Order: sequence, then structure tokens, then C-alpha cells
Amino acid sequence: MKLIKDKVAKLSFVALLMTVTAAMFYTPTASAHGEKSQAAFMRMRTIHWYDLHWSKETVAVNETMTVNGKFHVFAGWPETVDKPESSFLNIGIPGPVFIRQGSWIGGKLVPRSVALELGETYEFKVLLRARRPGDWHVHSMMNVEGGGPIIGPGKWVTITGSMKSFTNPVTTLTGDTIDLETYNRENTYFWHTFWFVVGLAWVGFWIRKPVFVPRLLAVDAGKANTLITDGEKKVGMAFAAGTMALVAFLMQTTNDKYPVTTPLQAGLLRGMIPIEKHAPTISVKVDDATYRVPGRAMQMTLTITNNGDEPVRLAEFNTAGVRFLDSKVWEDDTNYPDDLLAEDGLSVSDNSAIAPGEKRTVEVTASDAAWEVYRLADLIYDPDSRFAGLLFFSKENGQREMVTVDAPLIPSFI
Amino acid sequence: MSASQSAVRSRAEAIKVSRTFDWMICFVLFFIILGGYHIHYMLTGGDWDFWTDWKDRRLWVTVAPIVSITFPAAVQSVLWWRYRLPFGAVLCVLGLLFGEWINRYFNFWGWTYFPINFCFPSQLLPGAIVLDVILLLSNSMVLTAVVGGLAYGLLFYPGNWPVIAPLHVPVEYNGMVMTLADLQGYHYVRTGTPEYIRMVEKGTLRTFGKDVAPVSAFFSGFVSILIYFLWHFFGKWFGSTAFVKST
Repeated sequence: MKLIKDKVAKLSFVALLMTVTAAMFYTPTASAHGEKSQAAFMRMRTIHWYDLHWSKETVAVNETMTVNGKFHVFAGWPETVDKPESSFLNIGIPGPVFIRQGSWIGGKLVPRSVALELGETYEFKVLLRARRPGDWHVHSMMNVEGGGPIIGPGKWVTITGSMKSFTNPVTTLTGDTIDLETYNRENTYFWHTFWFVVGLAWVGFWIRKPVFVPRLLAVDAGKANTLITDGEKKVGMAFAAGTMALVAFLMQTTNDKYPVTTPLQAGLLRGMIPIEKHAPTISVKVDDATYRVPGRAMQMTLTITNNGDEPVRLAEFNTAGVRFLDSKVWEDDTNYPDDLLAEDGLSVSDNSAIAPGEKRTVEVTASDAAWEVYRLADLIYDPDSRFAGLLFFSKENGQREMVTVDAPLIPSFI
Repeated sequence: MSASQSAVRSRAEAIKVSRTFDWMICFVLFFIILGGYHIHYMLTGGDWDFWTDWKDRRLWVTVAPIVSITFPAAVQSVLWWRYRLPFGAVLCVLGLLFGEWINRYFNFWGWTYFPINFCFPSQLLPGAIVLDVILLLSNSMVLTAVVGGLAYGLLFYPGNWPVIAPLHVPVEYNGMVMTLADLQGYHYVRTGTPEYIRMVEKGTLRTFGKDVAPVSAFFSGFVSILIYFLWHFFGKWFGSTAFVKST
């Protein structure tokens, strides 16, 4: 029996070692950002990203690309998330695989935080320059103070080349052109090494003689004051005086070398210019909305009123970056990420043109695996079971009109 | 050999064992301090120490010395009152900087590719040396706290200036003035560190115009005095030996 127990113990140990070793060798790259883990209501009821465009899918190191589009700051912003009074237009990438050369909202450079208004729609653009080779998921992203990161749709972009060739030249106001990638690096290494050596010398000076046992015995015997000699005190004074003199000297020489320095710049940018609003010509009332868990489909009963002077058809329902299209009305030609595009995901009980002045009640179904894949179905577990999104209506002249919807959502489990 | 017999048979052997013991304790102590102090400093100083665009003339100058004088005060207390060794502060800072450089080089640069010139640690050694020497010369906790604590706060900014100043050179960027440090923060994308959480240049200290760093340093030195007292007592308590009475 003991023999069997020993063998089981040994084999278990070997199995454990093999598991640990296998885990060490299997370390896949984490290239995405957990965007699917973010609460569904955060993605559906805060910032609505649309008309997104990634200028390139492959880019070489040092080359640039842009991510641009529009975002609508939802008027029905959830109470559980702080309002976007202090927000930052970010870009969702795994660390600095690109550098952000510029970011604009409404044509205004936004290197700092901005105040956004609920109910407004803004144009944005982010200019990126490739730095680190690999396949990276590039998302639009807005950080909101008190709300956290609100991540938008992402698309895979490949960076080719070598990071060694990356440079980041910048010209300062004093007229020098530097490479920000390596600027001041040797200076940093030098002074840190210098002070580290001084510190080691100080500790080394004290541990050159026996350290713990004899000194503890001497202190316990009441002879502590005999342990420090006058010579050691003089060395201490030399260290302190040298340190203070050197710090003062370096302060002065640094000021001489860099006579023009400014404090870090910070502050909130206000007055972001939204896209000009046009008087809405279409109104939509959500009579009811259910999410059918088995069918991965959202069903809405909408009463649509066309107050304009052109007939319109419902073309798209967009929520959390997932686009449900009625392909008979609208086809995507922007090369939008496949996993976020349900080209035939929208069905309308009667999607014939709604004439000017007409009011029609229709059953709309948005169905696609994306509800599950992007964990939007988890909305039914949120504390405030409401859904929201953008409806796009198509006009005969090819123009679109956007209408927001926001209503309670009833889950259906059968 | 019974329990009452000595483990060594000669004075020479005793010295050899004692010295071996010294090296073992120094080695272990260094890494224990490194771990504890590093975690403490990352949790309390955190981003101010991580990024150049957080190293400002107000809050970084104030916060970094206050939260970093803790372990030096405690370790000084143990090493001085138990062993009369005046290198507690420097030992702590050496451990911290060693750990920080490993972290910055292998994690920040090696794994996530933030350039080292953007994420190097703050320099704390000049203040630590002075703190140790004041304890050595004064043999007084009060004097070390008052004079050393103040010096620790005052020396922080000038001690870092040779490395920080080049990054405070201004640059015009798309119609805005930024420092090179600001530009680093903008260029090298941090998805989890948006601009609004940067606690720099905040506060009401506006009376002194551009010369705010010395005032912040004095304030930092003043609070460092108080923190020194507190952590010195922590160290004293931690370094005490208590025996259970035999019944």
C-alpha cells in the first residue's frame, strides 16, 4: 500500500512539474483589451462610435495611419457612470505599439482632457505612427473620469519592419532637434549609476568590519558608543558635505545648461465643437423591446414618424459598435471589422419606404451571434435593464439620418 | 554536542561564522527591504514615480519624499539602536532603486516597450545619505527627524533636477506649448492612464509664482519630519525582542 502511495505521490509531482513547464512554454500574446468584458450597458449607453475608418490595415514602422469617425455622447447617460465632464480621447492599443502623433475632436487638438456635452455628436481623428511590429487590435477609446475607459470598435492592424529603425524626432523651442525615443537616456543612466555607486560605497564602508553579532553584543553590553570612531564620523561628514555640495553644484550647472525650462502643462479643454445639429425629421418611439436569449435577437416594436419631405427606410441599428444592417437598404463599403458587422442582421416587418408625413409601427429584429460574442446579451444582468443605440434611416438621395433610441429591455428566456 | 556547548571551537572560527552570518543577513535583508519598500512605494508614490509627465514641481516634490522616508526611518531605527549601524536609509534606497530599475527595465521597457527615458525612477539617494549621516553624528532620533527629515525633503528636487531638467525644455506642438515630458506622455500611449488622472500642477500654491518647487520641498520636508517619527517608532517596535516568561 505504501509503495502505491509513494508512486502516486511521485507521479503527481511529475505531473505538476510537467503542467508548470507546459504553462511556461505556452504564453500566447495578449493582443486585445478585454473589450468584451466591459459591462454591456457601458458600451450601449455612453459613447456611440460610428462611421469609423482605419486608414490602413498594414503599416510599416515609422509610417502613419489614422483612425477617424464620429461619436455620439448619449443623452441617456447612465446614472451609475460619471458624466463626461472630464474625458480623454485615447486609443485602445496594447501599450505604445504606435505613438500618438495627434488627436483631434472637432478639428481641435486634444492632448489634454476635454469636457463633452451630453446629446452632442463630435468628429474625431487620431493620427498614429507605427513603432512596434506585430498584429495589434486598434480601438477607438474614450476615458471618462469616474467612469473608466469606454472602448469602441477595434480592427486588426499589422505593423511590419523593425522597431530598431523607429525614431521620434522633435524640435524644441530652443531650436534643438532630438530623438524623443532615446533623448536623455544616457544622462539618466549615468546619474543613477553614479548615486548608486556612492550609496554602495557608504554601505560598503560600514560592512567592511563585522556587522551584526559583535555589534549586537556590544550594544547589549552598554558599549554602543564605543562602536563609532571619530574617523568614521569624519567619513560620514565628508559623505554628507560632498553630497550636499554636489547636489548644489549640479543644480547650478543644470540650470546653466538648460536655461529655458517650463512646468508640465495640464488643464481641461472646454468648448469642443460638435457636429452641427439639423432639425430631426424622423421621430421614433419604442413601444416595447425584448431580448430573446435562445435566439440571440433583440426585438423592438417601433412607431416611426416621418416628418420630413423625403421617404425614408430603416437601414441600420448600431449599438456598442455592432452594426446590424438591412442589406436590401444599405451595404457597408467601409471595410468595417467583420466580427462587428451583421450585414443581414436587421429585419423589419415592413421596410418599404415611409412616406413624408406617414406614421408606421413596425417590428424590428436585430439578430446575430455578435450579441453573445460581444457579450451584449449580458445586458439582462445589468442593474439598469435598458438598451440604447443608434438607428440610421436612409433617404433616396443616399443621405442618412440618425435617431437615438433608449428604452427598457425585457429578457425572454423561452 | 549538547545544546549548551558552543557551535564553534575557536575565536577564529567564531569570527568566520559571524562574518558568514553578516553576508547572509545582508543579502536577505537587502531583498526583504527591496520587496517591502518597493510595494509600499509603488502603492503610495505610484504614477509620480513611473512617468516623467507626472514629475512636476508641486505634487511629485511633495509626495515622493513623504511616502519614501518611511522605510528608511524604520530600518534606521533597527540598525542604529540595535547595532549602531548608520546605513539604514541608504540600504533601503539602494534596495528600492535596484528593484525599481529591474521593474522599469524588464517590465516597462522589456514587456511593454515604454522607453526608459519616460519611466525611470526618482532619485532618493542624496537625501538618504544625509539622513544616515545626521543620525551618525547626532545619535538622536529627534535631531535626525527634524534636521534629516527636512533635508530629505529639500534635497529631493535638486537631486533629481539634472535628470529631469532636459525633459522640461518646451516644445511647440500643433499650436500648443508642451514640455518634452508632456509630449512623452502624449506620444507613448497608456490606455489605463488617461490625462485627467495626472495629478500635476494642482493646488492653491499660486502666491510664489514660478518659484513653487522650493516651497513644495519645504512643505514636503516638514511632513517628512512627522512621518519619520512615526516610522522610526514602527522600526523600534519591529526591532524589539520579547520573550515569553517560563512558567
